[in-house]
Formats: sequence, structure tokens, C-alpha cells
Amino acid sequence: MTVVSQVKQTLASLKGVQGTLRLYSTQTRDKETESVFLEALETTEAIIQDLEKRIQVLEFQEPQYKGN
Amino acid sequence: MQLWMQVLIRSLSLFILIIFLARILGKRNIARVPPYRFIIYHVLAIIAALISVNVIPNLVNGLIAIGVWVIFSIAVDYLSMKSKWFHDLIHGKETVLIKHGKIMEENLQKERLTGEELLRELRYKDAFNLADVEFAVLENTGDINVFLKSDKKPVTPHDLSIKVAPQAEPQTVILDGNILNEPLASLGLNREWLCIQLENMGVSLDNVFLGQVDSSGDLYLDLFDDAIELPQPKVKEMVYANIEKSQANLMTFALETEDKEAKAMYTKNAEKLKELMEKLEPYLLR
Repeated sequence: MTVVSQVKQTLASLKGVQGTLRLYSTQTRDKETESVFLEALETTEAIIQDLEKRIQVLEFQEPQYKGN
Repeated sequence: MQLWMQVLIRSLSLFILIIFLARILGKRNIARVPPYRFIIYHVLAIIAALISVNVIPNLVNGLIAIGVWVIFSIAVDYLSMKSKWFHDLIHGKETVLIKHGKIMEENLQKERLTGEELLRELRYKDAFNLADVEFAVLENTGDINVFLKSDKKPVTPHDLSIKVAPQAEPQTVILDGNILNEPLASLGLNREWLCIQLENMGVSLDNVFLGQVDSSGDLYLDLFDDAIELPQPKVKEMVYANIEKSQANLMTFALETEDKEAKAMYTKNAEKLKELMEKLEPYLLR
């Protein structure tokens, strides 16, 4: 497995985590819990953006693996 | 009128009357009432029984007696709500039996309690060892309540300084195969949501005996058919595991890459995820 695809996999699983956290932030009935989940959403969002940027760089460097 | 007819009619009407009066007399734990209430309940029961089997032939007299006992009982309740003095007069005050770990013998004597009785009551409260008891009080209902020494109390998350997520009470949304609309609406959910959840779990509504939604919004089901193994919600644990896995991946990337900038980025984000894991742990795992 190439580096790009590994990073992409991690990105995908983080996006999955984000989706579930978003679900819980809406369906929880406790205000404090909700704010913790929302905060977690922001953190994961920042990491996802960093990873996406990194994937662009990697794909630029190794265009032969693009799309993998 | 024949005697049996009389008994039948009296019994039927008293049955309804007494059920109604019991509702008026209020919600009390029958086993834990002050002695005066115990007497009121019994007097009412006896009068009703006597009228019912025609021992008190005059119906009006019997009903007057019941009325007096009920009205005075309610009046006493109201007066003790309004006046502390009256409350103490009727209910009496609780008696301290153990203070600072020492038995107050004179109070024990005043209440005509023997040492054996005290020890038995303490054992009911799981305090077999008198040395564990800091404080004990005899309530006016006759119960003895025990305050244990602080090092003998059960451990709470607070004692262990563990953070736990706050939880609200679960709401029952399905009972006996019927959807309960009111609790569902109070959660801000609707029937469609419930139907989708049931479909995801692959069960039909008539097979569900009980369904509860916990405070994080997960649905727990109990089915009529106990042979069906139902996957209980483990979504939160999965999320936590996924975060953990991503964190480990980022660490690996940081080690593998030779690009300095990328290394810094991976390390920073791995640390961020580590912090996030610590923060979310009470909410996802506990």
C-alpha cells in the first residue's frame, strides 16, 4: 500500500468519526456533552484539512499514484 | 330487602368509596408511615368492613365516622405543612441514637429501644460493625438511618477524581409493542426516527416489549423473542477506537516521512488527537 492511500484511509476514518460525533452532538440531551462534542468536531475538522493538504502535496510529488 | 342484597349493595358501594378515599389520603409508603397515620388507615378499614357486613346497620352513622376520620387526616396534613410547631407535635422529632460514633444510651432508653434492636436495624443498613457508624438517627416512622464514617462509605467517581459524563434519565418510548408518543416528543424525536432505528436493527415493532432511549440518544430494545441476539449499541466505543487508530496512524506517518514540514504537521495533529481522546473518554467510554 502506498503512502498516499494510507493517508487517505486515515482521512476517511477521521471523517467517519466526525460524522458520528456530529450525530451525537445533535441527539444528546445534555448541554455540557453537546459542547464537548462540538469542540471535538472543530479539532477533527482542523486535522482533516491538514491531511487533505498533505494528500494534495503527495499526489503532486508522485502523480503516478494519483487516484489510488 | 333481603339481608344478602343489603350486604351486596353496601359492599359494592363501599369498595368504590374506599378506593376513592385511599386516593384522597395521598401517596404514602404504607410500611413507612408515622404511627398516627397507621391508626387512621386501620380505623377506616375497620369501619368500612363493619358497614359492609351490616354490623353497623345505620349507614349514615358509618359514613359520618368515615368522613370525620378522612377530613381530620387531611386537615392534620395541611396544618403540619403550614406550621412547624404542629408538625413536631403530631409527627414527633427524630431521635439521634449514635453521634460521633458513640451510642447515646439515654436517647435509646427514652425510645425504649434495646441494644439488640439497634444492632439489628444497623445490620439492615449493612453496618455490621458499630465502629463504621458515625451517626444514626431514629426517624419518626421508626426507621433507623445510618451515616457511615467517611472512610467506610462506598467509593464514588468523585472520590477517585474520575470525570464521568452527565446523564439524564432514560425515556421509555416503546412498551408492549406500542409507540409512546409523549416521551418520544419530549426527546425531540418522532415516529419516523424510531421506525428507521428499528429497521436498522432489523426488528419489527410488534416484537419489541420495551424500548428505551438513553440520554445520549441511543435506543435499547428488549424483544419478546429472546432467541434473537440483538446487537446492542456500541457506536461510541467504535468512535473512540477509530480515533485511537487514526492517532496511531498519524504517529506512524510522522516517523516514516522525511519531509520536515510534514513531520511537524503529523506530530502536531497526533498530539491534538491524543488530547481529544482524553477529553472524550468520559463521554464515549463511561
